Amino acid sequence: MRPSILSAMDLTREEEAILNGEEGEGRQKAMELVTALGKIYGAEDLIDITSAHLSGASYKTIGDGGLKYLEDMAAGGAKVTVPSTLNPVGMDRTRWREMHISEEFAEKQLRIIDLYGQMGIRTTCSCTPYVGPNVPSMGDHVAWAESSALSFVNSYIGARTNREGGPGALAAAILGKTANYGLHLDENRKPTVVIDADIDGSIFSYSLLGQAVGMAIGSGVPYFKGISPEVEEAKTLCAAMAASGSVALYHVEGVTPEAGNFDVSDLEVIHIGEKELQAAYDKLNTVDDIQLIALGCPHLTEKEMHQIASFLKGKKKVNKDVEIWFCTSAEIRDRCPEDVKIMEEFGPVLADTCMVVAPIEGTFQRTGTNSAKAGNYLPTLCSQKAMCRDIAKLMEVVL
Amino acid sequence: MRIEGRSISPGKAKGEVVKLNEPLSFLGGVDGSTGDIRVGDGGNVAGKILVFPKGKGSTVGSFVMYDLMVHGKAPAAVINESAETIVATGAVISSIPMVDSIPSIDIFENGDVVTVDADAGTVEIEGVECRSVVSSAILMDGKVLMLKRPATCHSFPGKWSLVAGKIEPGETPTEAAKREILEETRIPVGGPDAVVRPFYVREGDVLWKVHGMLFRVSFADPKINEENEMFEWVSLEDVSGMDTVTDTMAVLEQLMK
Repeated sequence: MRPSILSAMDLTREEEAILNGEEGEGRQKAMELVTALGKIYGAEDLIDITSAHLSGASYKTIGDGGLKYLEDMAAGGAKVTVPSTLNPVGMDRTRWREMHISEEFAEKQLRIIDLYGQMGIRTTCSCTPYVGPNVPSMGDHVAWAESSALSFVNSYIGARTNREGGPGALAAAILGKTANYGLHLDENRKPTVVIDADIDGSIFSYSLLGQAVGMAIGSGVPYFKGISPEVEEAKTLCAAMAASGSVALYHVEGVTPEAGNFDVSDLEVIHIGEKELQAAYDKLNTVDDIQLIALGCPHLTEKEMHQIASFLKGKKKVNKDVEIWFCTSAEIRDRCPEDVKIMEEFGPVLADTCMVVAPIEGTFQRTGTNSAKAGNYLPTLCSQKAMCRDIAKLMEVVL
Repeated sequence: MRIEGRSISPGKAKGEVVKLNEPLSFLGGVDGSTGDIRVGDGGNVAGKILVFPKGKGSTVGSFVMYDLMVHGKAPAAVINESAETIVATGAVISSIPMVDSIPSIDIFENGDVVTVDADAGTVEIEGVECRSVVSSAILMDGKVLMLKRPATCHSFPGKWSLVAGKIEPGETPTEAAKREILEETRIPVGGPDAVVRPFYVREGDVLWKVHGMLFRVSFADPKINEENEMFEWVSLEDVSGMDTVTDTMAVLEQLMK
């Protein structure tokens, strides 16, 4: 018997019925995609998921092909069956004019948000849904796209997801199932290398650490010693390692929930200290003068909003030529009205979007950020020369 | 002849092959509204059997494939050596039949008419016949026995080769290898000491399925028949400098792994 669509994976009677189209074309297509990906990566069966997080939301990244795909999916009646959230889009859905966005872009972007909404996806438009509306539990199987967010829920929470792509995560959300392979399985969650980290513990040092580790190992499951990240630091580390490498899971001794399960005494140890952090810094910094300072990659948390506001309080923006964007979710913006008031003196506090997925290349050529992830993607996805420094140093440009 | 691969995206299609020899990023590599190929030798994917080793690049490539479908410019089918997420996703969401895990894209030539049955995971090249052959490396003191074919030979005339020949009906590859070695060199062998996974070599309308084998001998005195005009014991490094038939280096490289 040939390995046909049906026989390649061990499907339940119900799953086979979906694949045969008995529950409509939309669910059949979703099953074809989940099983095709499962086959490629050697999954033996499917596994139930408790949530999904979808990428492929900015009109800038998915283009007209992606928009038409979503139109067709929504028109076909596709609906998600597990709680699902959406990644940032190409603009703040109400303040897009302040971002120099064209009418045409805005119209298509709003349509994309609307289509995801029609399919039952919560249009949070944030890359940090795990601090708000979409919080998996330890051991949950989930289907998350967005490299930084999926690394966070894998590592810091102990949920289980592979690096899903946009359509794959949508298909999984529609079915409530994904292919059971990779990081869903115990054996692939074991550390592959020990990172002996010597950093000062600031948020920015976590950006550089993540950049340096990604540069050193590329992929794998690093096990950190010598750091104690809280949510903000872990978020920064996730984003950096997923951008400079393709790390989707890491453990931190004494901090992350699965770290105690492993004996790492036989693993190779890589030291990351001053020299490696300097190399990471040099890689991320390609320009000395900038037109835009963009903070919030990944989206600013409530704590970061307070920190930035208290740093800026009482100061004045002297250099009017440089714009400042603060990127967060609408939910967090609403929760911090006092901070927002102070920050708005310096630049807009934007929701739904960020400097990477917004079409900033139409307006700016040189951008500053405190994020290693943004530092990696600004040159490639936004044609920018990038400056990557901590917030205080970036702000020296305008104060 | 039918080649077995693996079904990735269902459906059936027949069409002419457009082949790219390098991994393809649909984003940047193919125009989503016209189907024009912007890399390699150009061409157009619309209605064709698009053959390339594997996908690469941006995940947006999946949506470029969808764009092609929307514009009626999608390939009739996609054939890859190994599928990855981007192209597999694009093929499934765009209802493009797709097969992977074929032995090598080298079995296809541009312009071949190919039938793809992506439900079964098989591919058939029209008018091309498959012939199974053995290709044996006889190794003595680190040197391999090379035979030179006469200029009048019907297959790869004038070139150097290992001890090669067709597998006759009812014969196993090992039996064929031993028979050919005896016929062409009069060397009796035991073994084989190593066997490589069969691979394919395309020569016009013939697709050779090559079974490579290694036989070690401590002493041998080859007496060649009329199928070859001379022999030589050659060090492995020096074989690469010879004018050999297409499969020789591939067999040796895999045998030496």
